[in-house]
Amino acid sequence: MQQRNDATGTQGPGLGWRINKLLQLDAMNLVILVIAVYIIWSVISALIDNPARYLPSPIAVAMSSVDMLYKGLLPSYFGDTLVRLIFGSAIGLILGIPFGLLLGINRTVADMFHPIMNFFQSVSGIAIFPIIVVWWGNSDKTIFAVILYTAFFPIAFNVLSGVREIPIRYISAARTLGASRYQIIKDVLFPGAMPHIATGSRLSIGFAWRAVIAGEMLAGRQGLGWMIFTGQDADNTAEVILGMVMIGVTWIILDHYLLRPMEADTIERWGLVQR
Amino acid sequence: MSDTIAKEGAAGGILASLSIAIQTRIGRQKLRKIILGSIPFLVLFVLWQMNTAFEWLPAVFIPPLGDVLGAAITLQEDCVGIGGALAMDNTCLLTNHIFSSIGRVILAAVIGLPLGIGAGILAGMNRTVSRYLEPVGVFANSISGIAWIPLAIVWFGVGWMTTLFIMLNTIFWLMFFNAMLGVRGVAKVYEQSVLTMGGSRWDVIRHVYLPGAMPSIITGMRISLGFGWRALIAAEMIGGDSGLGFMIFVSAEEFKIEEVFLGVIIISLIYMATDRYLLAPLEKWTVERWGLIWKPT
Repeated sequence: MQQRNDATGTQGPGLGWRINKLLQLDAMNLVILVIAVYIIWSVISALIDNPARYLPSPIAVAMSSVDMLYKGLLPSYFGDTLVRLIFGSAIGLILGIPFGLLLGINRTVADMFHPIMNFFQSVSGIAIFPIIVVWWGNSDKTIFAVILYTAFFPIAFNVLSGVREIPIRYISAARTLGASRYQIIKDVLFPGAMPHIATGSRLSIGFAWRAVIAGEMLAGRQGLGWMIFTGQDADNTAEVILGMVMIGVTWIILDHYLLRPMEADTIERWGLVQR
Repeated sequence: MSDTIAKEGAAGGILASLSIAIQTRIGRQKLRKIILGSIPFLVLFVLWQMNTAFEWLPAVFIPPLGDVLGAAITLQEDCVGIGGALAMDNTCLLTNHIFSSIGRVILAAVIGLPLGIGAGILAGMNRTVSRYLEPVGVFANSISGIAWIPLAIVWFGVGWMTTLFIMLNTIFWLMFFNAMLGVRGVAKVYEQSVLTMGGSRWDVIRHVYLPGAMPSIITGMRISLGFGWRALIAAEMIGGDSGLGFMIFVSAEEFKIEEVFLGVIIISLIYMATDRYLLAPLEKWTVERWGLIWKPT
C-alpha cells in the first residue's frame, strides 16, 4: 500500500470503480450539457473582439476539421499520435511488468532499488525531455524515450505492490505442495498481481498519453500535440481547439471503453477478494 | 560479538560499539534499508565519475558532476548574498527560477485548492450540480493540462498568466473529483443523525462532510500538486518566461547540458521533498485523525 501511494499517488483500487460508476450518466443530461456548452461558447465567441484569434465559434472549429480532413492531415496526425502511444506504452509495460515482479519476489532487491526508482519516478518524463533532446535531437527516438520513461515507473511500482500484497500463505501453500520457484511465479505471484497489473497499465498508458502530447509539442514531430502547437504559432486557434477536443475525446474513449472495462474485468476475474 | 571485539582490539571495539549504537538508534531494519537503498545511487555515482574519467560518452551528453555543481555557482555568481536572492534580484539567475516556480505552485495552490474543494463538496452534496459539473470535469481532465498550453498562450501570452492557468486548471479538476468522491463516501447515517438532532445544512457541511471527506481531500491535494508540478514544468518550457522548466529548456537549446542536469535534479528534489516530508505525512496524519474507516495500510 505504501509503495503504491509513493508510486502513483492513487488511492486503493476502489477509486477506479467509483469513478466508473459515477460516469454512467444519463444520456439526457449529456445532451442538455452539450447544448448548453454550445450556446455559451457561441455567445462568448460572438461577443468578444476578434473571435478568430481568441475563441472561434464551434462552427468555425467544425469547419476547420472539414478542411483538415479534406487535406488528409487530421487522420495522419491522429494515426501518428496513436502509433506513438501504442508502441511507447507497450514497450514500457513489457519492460515494467517483469521488473516489478523481480522486485516483488526478492525483498533485498526491492529494498535496494526502491529509493532510486522513487527518485527517477519523481523526475517527470517532461523534465528529462531537454536532456534527451540534447542526446538525440528532435527525433521520434526522443519522444519514444520520454514515453517509455513515463510509462515504465507506474507499472513497475504497481506490480511491485501487487506482488507484495499477495498473502504469504498462498506462497507457502504452493511451496508446501512442492512447487518450484518458477511455478510460484507463474501460478501464484503473476495471477495474484493481475489486478495491480491492470491498474498499473491504465495509469501507465494515461501518463504515456500526456507524455506523447507534450513530446510532440516540444520535439515538433507531427501529431496531435504538434497540431495544436503549430496552430497556435500560425494564429489558427480553430485548429488548436479542434486538436484539444480530439485529444479529450480520444482519451475518454480509450479510457472508458477500453482501459477501465479491461481493468474491471481483470479485477473481477483475478482479484483476491478473500484475504 | 564480544569475540570479535577481543580479536580486533581497541579500534575494532570502538567500531563495533559504534555500529551497535547506530543500529539501536535508527533500528536494524531501517538501517538495512538505508544501506541497501544507497547502493544503486553509489553505483550510479561511480559510473558517472568513471564516464567523466574515461569519456565513454562525451561531456556534451553527460557532463561531469563537478560541472553540474559548478553551474549552480556560475548562475549565482553575481548574486549578492541571501538578501539579493530573496529580493529576486536580476543577477540571481538560479534562485530566481526556483522562486518563480515555487511561487507559482503556492499561488496556484492557494487559489485552486479551495476552489476545487468547494466545488467538489457542492457537487458531492447535490446530485443536480454534479450531473452537470462531472462531465465537464471528465472532459477537462482528459484534455491533460499540457494540451491547454497553446490555447493559454493565445489567451494570455507567454508568461506568468499562462503557466498559472495551466497549473490551476490541473489542480482544480483533480481536487474537484477527490473532494466530490470524498463527500459521496461519507455514510448518509451521519448526515441524517446531525439533521435529526436539529443541525442546519451548514452544520452538516462543517461537522459531517468536511471532516468525512478530509482524507480524500488531502489525498487529492497530494495528487493534484504532483500533477500540477509536472504540468507547470511543461508549461514553463513551452509558454513561460521564467522558472525551472524554462531554465532547462533554454539551456538545452544552448547545449548547456550541465545546467539542464542541475535543473532536472532541482526539480525532482523539490518534488520529492514536498511530497515526502510535507504532503505524505499530512496525508497519513489526516487519515489517522479524520478517517472514518480505519484502513490497514
